[in-house]
Amino acid sequence: MTVSVIKLLIQKLRKTLFSNSSNTLISFILILIINLACFITFEWLLFNANWKVVTSNIPLFAFGSFPPNEQWRPAIWIISLITLSIVTLFGPRWKWLRKNLLIAWGSTIPLGLYLLYGGIGLSPISSRHIGGLTLTILLTACSSVLSLPLGIILALGRQSSLPLIQKLSSIYIDVIRAVPLIAVLFFGQLLIPLFLPVGIEVDRVWRAIFAFTLFVSAYIAEDIRGGLQSIPHTQIESANSLGLNQYQIIRFILIPQALRIALPALTNQSIGLFQNTSLMAILGLVELLGIGRSILANPEFIGQYIEVYVWLACVYWLVCTIMAILARHLEQRMTINQANF
Amino acid sequence: MKGRKKIFLQLGICIFFLSIVGILINNLTINLIRTGLGFNFSWLLKPASFALAEHPLPYTSSDSYAWALFIGWLNSLKVIISSLFLSTCLGTLIGFARTGKNSLLGLISAGYITIIRQTPLLLQLMFWYFVGFLGLKDNVFLGIKNIFKISNQGIEFSGLTLSSEFSALLFGLSIFTSAYIAEVIRGGILSVPRGQWEAFRSLGLSERKGLFSIIVPQALPAIIPGLTSQYLNLAKNSTLAIAVGFSDIYAINDTIINQTGRAIECFLILLTSFLLLNLLISNGMEIINRIIITSSKTN
Repeated sequence: MTVSVIKLLIQKLRKTLFSNSSNTLISFILILIINLACFITFEWLLFNANWKVVTSNIPLFAFGSFPPNEQWRPAIWIISLITLSIVTLFGPRWKWLRKNLLIAWGSTIPLGLYLLYGGIGLSPISSRHIGGLTLTILLTACSSVLSLPLGIILALGRQSSLPLIQKLSSIYIDVIRAVPLIAVLFFGQLLIPLFLPVGIEVDRVWRAIFAFTLFVSAYIAEDIRGGLQSIPHTQIESANSLGLNQYQIIRFILIPQALRIALPALTNQSIGLFQNTSLMAILGLVELLGIGRSILANPEFIGQYIEVYVWLACVYWLVCTIMAILARHLEQRMTINQANF
Repeated sequence: MKGRKKIFLQLGICIFFLSIVGILINNLTINLIRTGLGFNFSWLLKPASFALAEHPLPYTSSDSYAWALFIGWLNSLKVIISSLFLSTCLGTLIGFARTGKNSLLGLISAGYITIIRQTPLLLQLMFWYFVGFLGLKDNVFLGIKNIFKISNQGIEFSGLTLSSEFSALLFGLSIFTSAYIAEVIRGGILSVPRGQWEAFRSLGLSERKGLFSIIVPQALPAIIPGLTSQYLNLAKNSTLAIAVGFSDIYAINDTIINQTGRAIECFLILLTSFLLLNLLISNGMEIINRIIITSSKTN
């Protein structure tokens, strides 16, 4: 049994790696390089790297400068998000649980806002103290949720039969897509206060969320427009013949199908958004990368760039991968089972 | 009746939209008067009085703001065009490696693509700048008879010197974009039906000749649109130059705002320069696309 498996494996290796002389040469060189790279990396990881800069700053990376005796609040939020991800992916397939998962995911944002900002029963905390991974997740979650409806409205506007609405949404989408994200974020941080009446101030985190929403909604609108365009026109005709009105057609026929088709693109947008929140480090918010920068500016840890950057890359990679796996799970659940027809 | 309803609806939206814009502009003028800045572009001709480390054309700090902005635009163009070439070459290589026969090579390219795509570009740029270049020693790191050397001063290649800021930006942007381009190339190659591979093999063409004369020409129409959007992304991402201290158009606008406080005017300038840049790239790619389509038709 095992002998045949090994034989099969050797045969496969031979076919894919050592099929002819040039291929064999490439394979040997690659194996050599991989061994060398692994050796150097492990040697550095185990003996040369000084991980004190990471281990002594874990609370800072996770929560920023949140008051130490209140840090259980963001901790609860992050732990509940992780638990929810695990339940979604590996949890039992009970029907009532699956039905309520969507509600649970939806309620994480109000829960997070309540826990972070405080309010009834909890001491209020200024957004200045929110930072690290908590801030990164907060920015991603709020901007994704807010930009989805705006994106849908823009996509419908661009498809509209009213020329004025169509022109306005097209101009908005095209201009935003032509401008770099950092310019939009800059607009959010420096120019929004100029457009507000004297005396009204919006705090920096919400200005950032607003700018991210403006930016991402234009991209989401294009993704959803792709979904809308791929719905066959016969569907609208049959809806018309059933006597549905314009609103009902949009609400029950167009939006659900367009969202389902655009789902992979939409989840990619939110993963991209998670990475792009790092840009706020340039504009002075202390999210994950910003915390890294401020730690590196501390004389105690000066020059330990590699450790901090490798650690941050691992965190970003891990969260992005989790998001991608959740997204694939969602896609599988949302695809229509062909057997139902 | 329905036509009239449409007109009324549009009129209502128009009034709503204009009133919001009116309120915002009113707030803006009040704020600008309050800060004593006003709105004009006459400051563009005043001397900039800041130095630039890199300038392709002669520049001194007594030159005007307008000239400084133009230098920044040229700097942006320089880094965009050079990383465009580098990332295309690198991305094509990795894309071919990913689709090729050697599974080990495919595995390595897949790993490269996931690592690059799942970490933020800003982090990668900082890594290249602070670890890749500034982390090197002052003396020569790699020298082949003084023709090619890399140090914390940048790259020197037979008389041509690239500053460490520029090189870090070039490396970071090219490597980041190459991972995306590799996926575009792979998608293009996979879009060619498998029968085409079998057909050229049965005709006795060699693997390499078949790939370049049969598969690639058919993959190109699927590759070009994806490539265009990656180039546009590259142009937009080049504004992260500010993180490594390279004076591109965004960084110079930022400096000017810090100096003069003219945020609105600078933002408008930034907007216009990016619309121009986008038009430039998308029109250039459109021309390339047309050439490819006509050449594939004549063949």
